[in-house]
Amino acid sequence: MEHPILFISIILEKLGLPIPHGPVGHTFIEQLCAPYMTYTWFVMVFLLFVVKLTLGDLEIVPGKGQNFWEIVIGGLDSFFAENMGREMTDKLFPMIATFGLYIVVANLIGLIPGFMSPTSSINTTLALTLIVWVTHHIIGFRAHGLNYYKHFIGPVWWLIPLLLPIEIISNLARMLSLSIRLFGNIMAKETLLAILFMLAGAFFAPLPIMILGVLVSLVQAMVFVLLTVVYFSQAAEHAH
Amino acid sequence: MSDIKREFVHLLANYGHIGFTFAAAIIIGLGGGIYLDQKIFDGRTAPWFTFIGLAFGIAAAYKSLFEILWLNKKKDEKSDKEG
Repeated sequence: MEHPILFISIILEKLGLPIPHGPVGHTFIEQLCAPYMTYTWFVMVFLLFVVKLTLGDLEIVPGKGQNFWEIVIGGLDSFFAENMGREMTDKLFPMIATFGLYIVVANLIGLIPGFMSPTSSINTTLALTLIVWVTHHIIGFRAHGLNYYKHFIGPVWWLIPLLLPIEIISNLARMLSLSIRLFGNIMAKETLLAILFMLAGAFFAPLPIMILGVLVSLVQAMVFVLLTVVYFSQAAEHAH
Repeated sequence: MSDIKREFVHLLANYGHIGFTFAAAIIIGLGGGIYLDQKIFDGRTAPWFTFIGLAFGIAAAYKSLFEILWLNKKKDEKSDKEG
C-alpha cells in the first residue's frame, strides 16, 4: 500500500538513499529502504526506547510506567498460561509476547498520518507466520521425538493414504490463513483510509473507519497471538 | 481481562479464522493438483490430479472445520454437566 506521505522515506530520500517506487526494490539497498522495512525498524526502535523510557529501573513500589507494563505483561502471561500451561508459557513467553507487542504497535501505527503499518505488507506477516509455523513443528518434535508423525496419519493404518494428504494440506493451510488474514485486514484498513481520505478527507470521512481500525488492529493482534498459542499447545499434545 | 471479554476473544479466534482456513485448504489442494498435472507430468494426466487435489483440498477444509467444532464439544459437555 503506497501512502501519499511517508516521512521516513522522505528523510531517507533527502539523505540520498534509493527509495523503491514499486512495492519492493531491485537492489539490496533499495529493498532495505522499502517502506515496510524502515517502518519495521521504526516499530522496533519505538518498542525498545519507549519501554526503556517508561520502565527505567525496576522498583519495588512501581511508578506509573512500571504499573502499566506490569499489567500488560502480567495479563499476557496469565492469558498464555491459561491456554497452554505454565511450563510452556515460561519457555515461550518472550517469543509470543514480542510478537504480540510488535503486531499491536505495527497495526496501530498505520492510523497516524505519515506512518504505515509494516503488517500491511505480506512479507512481514509471512515472515512472522513462518517463524510460528516452524516453531510449532520444532515443539512437536521436541515433545514427541520421531513419534510426532503420528499427528499426521490418523487413528488407523488403512486410512493413511487418505488422511496423510489431508493433514498435510490442512497444516499448510494454517500457514496461509494466518499470514493472509493479518495482512488482508491491515491492508484493507490502510487502503480504505487512504481512499476515504482522498475522496472526502475535508469532511472527516476517515474518522469512523479509524475507530474501526483501532478495533481491527487490536483484535487481529490478539487473534494472531491466540492462534499461535493454540498451535503450540496442539503440537505438544498427544496424537488423537 | 473480564470473563466475557476473554470468551469473546476465544470465540473470535476460533471461529474467525475458519473462513480463511477453509478457503486456504481448498486453494492449496487445487494448486497442488494443478502443479502436479502441468509441471510434473507436463499435462499428460491433465484433469486427473487437479480433481484429486481439489477433492483432498475440500476434505482438508472440512476436516479443519470439524476440528474447530469438536474442539469446544468436550468443553461444552463438561460445562453442561456442571451447570
